[in-house]
Amino acid sequence: MADSSNLKSDSIMELMKQHIASDAGKDVVQKIGLVYQFQIAPKKIGIDEVIYTVDLKKGEVTKGAYEGGKPDATFSFKDEDFVKIALGKMNPQLAFMRGAMKVKGSLSAAQKFTPDIFPKPSKM
Amino acid sequence: MAMRDLITGATSCPDPSSSTSSQNPLGSLANALLGSSSKTQERLKEIPTSNSTGIASQFYAEPLLTQLPGSELDKPFLDANSQGSEFLNRFRSAGAGGFEETWDEIQRDGTQLRLYDGRGQPPPQLHQPTLDGTPQRVLSTFLHSFLDSSRGGIPFHPAPLPVLGLSEGDKQCIRDRSSIMARHLFADKSEEFIHAQVNALLCSLDIDSSVRGKGPMPERFRELDEYWNESQGNLIHGAHAADGWISEYSQHRERYDNPDAWANSFEQQHGVNGWVSEFENSQLSSVGQMQGMNMPNIAAMEQTRMLANTLAQNADPKFQNSKFLQFVSKMSRGELIIDDNQVKETALPASGDWAAEYQQQYNRGDAWAGEFLNNKALSGVGPEQWANEYSIERQQHGAVDDQWVDEFSKLHVNDWAEEFGQQVGEGVFGEGSSDNWANAYDEFLNEQIVAKQRLDSSRGVYVFSDLNPYVGHPNPLKEGQDLFRKGLLSEAVLALEAEVLKNPENAEGWRLLGIAHAENDDDQQAIAAMMRAQEADPTNLEVLLALGVSHTNELEQNAALKYLFGWLRNHPKYGTIAPPEISDSLYYADVARLFNEAAEISPDDADVHIVLGVLYNLSREYDKAISSFERALKLKPQDYSLWNKLGATQANSVQSADAIMAYQQALDLKPNYVRAWANMGISYANQGMYDESIRYYVRALAMNPKAENAWQYLRISLSCASRNDMFEACDSRNLDLLQKEFPLQ
Repeated sequence: MADSSNLKSDSIMELMKQHIASDAGKDVVQKIGLVYQFQIAPKKIGIDEVIYTVDLKKGEVTKGAYEGGKPDATFSFKDEDFVKIALGKMNPQLAFMRGAMKVKGSLSAAQKFTPDIFPKPSKM
Repeated sequence: MAMRDLITGATSCPDPSSSTSSQNPLGSLANALLGSSSKTQERLKEIPTSNSTGIASQFYAEPLLTQLPGSELDKPFLDANSQGSEFLNRFRSAGAGGFEETWDEIQRDGTQLRLYDGRGQPPPQLHQPTLDGTPQRVLSTFLHSFLDSSRGGIPFHPAPLPVLGLSEGDKQCIRDRSSIMARHLFADKSEEFIHAQVNALLCSLDIDSSVRGKGPMPERFRELDEYWNESQGNLIHGAHAADGWISEYSQHRERYDNPDAWANSFEQQHGVNGWVSEFENSQLSSVGQMQGMNMPNIAAMEQTRMLANTLAQNADPKFQNSKFLQFVSKMSRGELIIDDNQVKETALPASGDWAAEYQQQYNRGDAWAGEFLNNKALSGVGPEQWANEYSIERQQHGAVDDQWVDEFSKLHVNDWAEEFGQQVGEGVFGEGSSDNWANAYDEFLNEQIVAKQRLDSSRGVYVFSDLNPYVGHPNPLKEGQDLFRKGLLSEAVLALEAEVLKNPENAEGWRLLGIAHAENDDDQQAIAAMMRAQEADPTNLEVLLALGVSHTNELEQNAALKYLFGWLRNHPKYGTIAPPEISDSLYYADVARLFNEAAEISPDDADVHIVLGVLYNLSREYDKAISSFERALKLKPQDYSLWNKLGATQANSVQSADAIMAYQQALDLKPNYVRAWANMGISYANQGMYDESIRYYVRALAMNPKAENAWQYLRISLSCASRNDMFEACDSRNLDLLQKEFPLQ
């Protein structure tokens, strides 16, 4: 692998990294204008988390915690659930209510998080 | 799938020879329909390499299987979207007044089934089908003309037809299936043309083209609702006697001084509701008494109860007196059960109980009458005349009711029980018919649970379609291959499912089924099918590659790596360079190195480049993946799935414009390639062109409404395009509306 971890979310984040530089990605940046931090765990929330910062102010996706201060909202998921949400298979509100997604930070910022900020992978 | 199902009635498994002969004009129509895709036919002669079919043909030698091995698998996973019980459908399709005919048809079906039973009895001659002038015949001719027009690409004109007596369910069925079919038949025509064609067809059949089912599983519920309402209605019909009684009484009461109090109190005691509820209670209690029996029997009873009520609506006296109706109503009251395919009478004389209870009710009426008389006497309103009148009245009605009760219990139980027993013995009802009833009922109860189970079990367990018209087909594998070649993917899936139900160890059947699912954009089912193929044939290279691709699509890297390495290990040429010891702990870098070695050994082997391309997708080295696929395409330019792989890789490395060109190549080679249509949608969406993406998703879904991902993506695109007004259409899967709103130029 290009990196050592083996999360499904890595593929989506990788895709997001490139997507965010494209025209459609710039629209998302303009629409949201917030910094999200995603903490993704392979099996159980809080354990062995991989952290991504999706900076929708500058238009950057980086691995690791946000370094420019406090993110507007921080989300924690299991790998599987993150993929479901990013691909539109699970609704974020529902995931939150089920405890499949944990949120820290501004609630209004969290509410702007929707599956359509993520690009969809194409299938071979 | 549809037309055949629709016309032949799904359980009947036409004899291979008769289905094409004049004996079964409906079957031959279906064949004509399915055999006539317009342009894809010549183009797609090739099935992605198919290996030996030897295992399969060995099985065809014995088409006498009465119970399909492995068929128990499909029970818990019945498809929610399809029509209700075939058994009921058969009746409903005959329309009003056609029941006698349907009865004949059942007998015919029975004889056909018997051919497969292997009991070796020659089919009896008594029910030679003469369909002239029947609704089926008219429908058949009409659908033929629709098909002919499709061949020439001539616009189809609506024609006036006699009333066919199609039920709502049939209409829904024709509507849904003809639009999917038309989309496949006219893959090269414009959306408007397809619409015009389908609408002309539907218009002539008096089917409203705009009404569609709501929700993902509307059919069954609606149908059961209808039956429920009908059966409720029937109970109230049953109350007619009481109604008449009351109204007659109310005529009398006008002559008397103080009738209201009495009338009210009479109604309270004896009135419609009381009577009905008593009747219902007795029914319930007889159901309760039957709890000891096994579930299928109760389920069968429930089914027959609905059936009996439906049948009872038919006013034709001939039919009303038919033994069949009597049988069905008997069965619905639990006086008969089917046990080990033998009809048995239940121990408890249910009708006797009921009559006794009814009698009790009557006695209570006496007591009440007495009490009432006392009251009347106290209140001092000259009651005697009235009381006499009332008791005379009551006696008369009592007599009527007695007659009624007598009649009720006078059904010739033994006669028809015998007859039914005989018929079951002869296999008239087919092996599965009682199972079908039970299944349908279980399904009704478990609909929600099943839907949930399906989500849970979506990994690795193959989910079979409900009501597969190809079950019982003499050679479903060949049929499936033909359909696949013609690009009728959903239809091919059904035929291949029939094949693997028949021969669960047929790797080729499973493999092609997996490919059909992948092309239909359903990776979960594709993986499940391919895993079965791999069980049957663990070293099949195409299966291993397909599993590697599908797992890559599902972002499951370890599994994908395992199968791709397996491909190398089992390859006759490269197997030697793959050391077996590393298969326990695979590292991407090792596998990639080995494949690069393989590519050096034979740079002109397109397959190596394909696997390498998939592998680079796994590591997200998209540039390398693209060049691998491009090299493979130089060697295999006609491989539509390779064009799609190239497109998907380009899309995933955010080269959407290139991706769309590659997808277009794939679609030029295979117009019904649902996956490529859906990928087009994804590429447009990722470029922020949501309107376009919606059109492509809708197009993909029109060809395969079961492509779950496309529905989810469609919803996201609708939201991004600020078309929240269409959410409801999306959630209720109203493809007609969506197609109208988002046509693809």
